[in-house]
Amino acid sequence: MGDFRYVENGRMGRVAYARIAPNEDLVIGIEKLCLAKGFNNAFVRGALGSLVDASLEASDGGVIEVKGPAVEIVSLAGEVRSDANGTPSASLSGVVADPEGNVYGGPFVSGLNPICVTFEVTLEEWLPEPAEDTGSSRARTGGLHL
Amino acid sequence: MTTKRPRLLRHPGPFNPVRIKAGSATYGIHIRLSLKPGETLFDAMVKPLAERNIRDASTTILRGAFEKMYYCVAPPDPEKRAVIAYSKPIDAGRAYMIFGNATLGRTVEGEPLVHCHAVIRTERGEVKGGHIITEQSIVGSKPISVLVTSIVGIELRQAYDEETHVSLLQPYGEESHG
Repeated sequence: MGDFRYVENGRMGRVAYARIAPNEDLVIGIEKLCLAKGFNNAFVRGALGSLVDASLEASDGGVIEVKGPAVEIVSLAGEVRSDANGTPSASLSGVVADPEGNVYGGPFVSGLNPICVTFEVTLEEWLPEPAEDTGSSRARTGGLHL
Repeated sequence: MTTKRPRLLRHPGPFNPVRIKAGSATYGIHIRLSLKPGETLFDAMVKPLAERNIRDASTTILRGAFEKMYYCVAPPDPEKRAVIAYSKPIDAGRAYMIFGNATLGRTVEGEPLVHCHAVIRTERGEVKGGHIITEQSIVGSKPISVLVTSIVGIELRQAYDEETHVSLLQPYGEESHG
């Protein structure tokens, strides 16, 4: 059983703005941006753009497909975390609008959200403080692993 | 079992090998802005920030009522100049913005530009999403909170994109690169 930090102290660091080009994947594109800029952890501070089609994770594990083009990204929140090897993983959730303006929401599925014309994103680096190695800072997790 | 694959589109212009054009700064400046009632979304955002010398920023519009709102969507371009084209403005009436993101930058000519996408509830009660026409949307009777993140030293400027045949915001500055 590993430790999970329910409270992580830290501060904001660098800020990056990027334009990601057509046919790149939304989720993987943000992960590549973190690699390019040397960010281990980051929060999405602003994002808008369009997708060819959108794929959102459904509650039953399936995929909600929203047909475009273009599917507009009208809301996006999320973060990027890197593992011990430095491999970034973006968790992104948002609302999209189809070509009639109808809206759908959920987590974006990695690899299945190709950008249509452009995607503008601002990331703010998150710099966590090292975990205190004391018993009081550890929380029982019920099997959660960081 | 069939593996899902993303659909890629062929754009009208030459493929640009730079797929991520990024700029970064050592820190961002944060401002809580209140959009002034009665002004257009464009003016309410551009004017107070310009007074503080902020011309390039990423913003989050937290929520608020608008006296008038117009938006558009992006279906395929019937004239095939690009893969998509914005529709004619759709009148949302006295709409409520549930959540929005806007990028403040500059046009090709150096004039202010606000690119805004949002989820809205129209006057008829429908929840819709799209590209907000900021010059025609009027802030309602109460100020609307906006979190502004300004990226010091990075200019966000519109430039014609040869690949897509669309003018797009791109970062420029000493630290920006592809």
